[in-house]
Amino acid sequence: MTLMNISNYLACPECDLLLRKVIFQKGETAHCPRCQYLLRRPKNESILHTFVLSLTGLFLLVPANILPIMSIKVLGNTQAGTLWGGVVTLFNEGMWGVAIVVFLASMLFPILSILLSLIISAHLYFNHYNPLLSLSLRVLNHIEEWAMLEVYLIGIIVASVKLSSMSELKFGLGLNAFVLLLIVSIMLSSNFDSALFWQKIDQLQSKKRPLTHPND
Amino acid sequence: MIKKTALSQGIIRCHDCGQLALRNDEFGSCSRCGKQLHARLPQSSQRTLALLLSSYALYIPANVFPIMTYTRFGVGEPHNIIGGIISLIHGDMLPIALLVLVASILVPLMKLLGLSLLLLCVHYRWQVKAQHWTKTYRIIAFVGRWSMLDIFMISILVSVVNLGGVAQVIAGTASTAFAAVVVLTMFAAKSFDPRLIWDVQE
Repeated sequence: MTLMNISNYLACPECDLLLRKVIFQKGETAHCPRCQYLLRRPKNESILHTFVLSLTGLFLLVPANILPIMSIKVLGNTQAGTLWGGVVTLFNEGMWGVAIVVFLASMLFPILSILLSLIISAHLYFNHYNPLLSLSLRVLNHIEEWAMLEVYLIGIIVASVKLSSMSELKFGLGLNAFVLLLIVSIMLSSNFDSALFWQKIDQLQSKKRPLTHPND
Repeated sequence: MIKKTALSQGIIRCHDCGQLALRNDEFGSCSRCGKQLHARLPQSSQRTLALLLSSYALYIPANVFPIMTYTRFGVGEPHNIIGGIISLIHGDMLPIALLVLVASILVPLMKLLGLSLLLLCVHYRWQVKAQHWTKTYRIIAFVGRWSMLDIFMISILVSVVNLGGVAQVIAGTASTAFAAVVVLTMFAAKSFDPRLIWDVQE
């Protein structure tokens, strides 16, 4: 068994079971027979869809981050709240630790993950090789779980329930952009076929440097 | 069919891109993505334990100290996480109170206890139904992010309710401790390698 060609196999990431690779049909899912881990769920046109969705997300990034999410009116004073405003206020109150965490999870990582998805999918869709592709995809895989737009939306809901009892509350244009951005991010992650992206990067790499892979 | 692990066949899997490599290449880098190859996540138990102990320590100030202060015309009292939930119940907002209770108190506690059990299981080589324990791990890894709810709520509140003397929300010391608990437990879950559960089963 040690002499076998390892490229015909795959290992479950959560229980290390060695499995033989099979060709998937679109719409099929593959679970690990031992621990039920979802090994792969091939998607239709994953690269094209990622490209289009991240391009859409790109236009929503700025309005979602700087337009007012909601505003209150107390004694004639109006105050609007934005994603960026929360970070700045927390920082000015001396809560810089919290400010940094909120900035990373609700602004920087969602922005980075949309930008990286766009760059990677554009390169793969147009078959354009770049030595930084594999590094970008690794970074994307790592930051994805730290982008928490959906949790932020629930935070907005809880905050608005708390505020509704004490003052006049109005939702702003930023909330629309935010919800759309959230929908785009969810569609992005459910359309993302990581195995296909790696396969494609591998193809582009070996086309570029055919002599460095004597084992394949 | 005898089920074999990749490691028992002298094969290791790249943590980042999933490509297989021979065990001889351990500590080398993956030919596809360049990530350093390891059979298992390096020092998985020790790292998880260290992060977990820090989280336990921070869980106390996170729940004891005030998480935010809401002042109206200069008067207002700071309250901690539980105080916030109680005031939601008094305001007849029971569903929201339950949501905050689950996200801010139960989820972090479940995560701390669950990861501790997983570490004990691996360390003392408990013979368990590994499938169930892997499922526990998956739930812990999935729910981790939802504890950030309270932090995001405070962030949007300080931004909206910022009218100086008329009405203001100020974040309290516990918010730093609480955010640290959430981030550290997420790192703890990430550094735990679920394959260790399967490795200790005979």
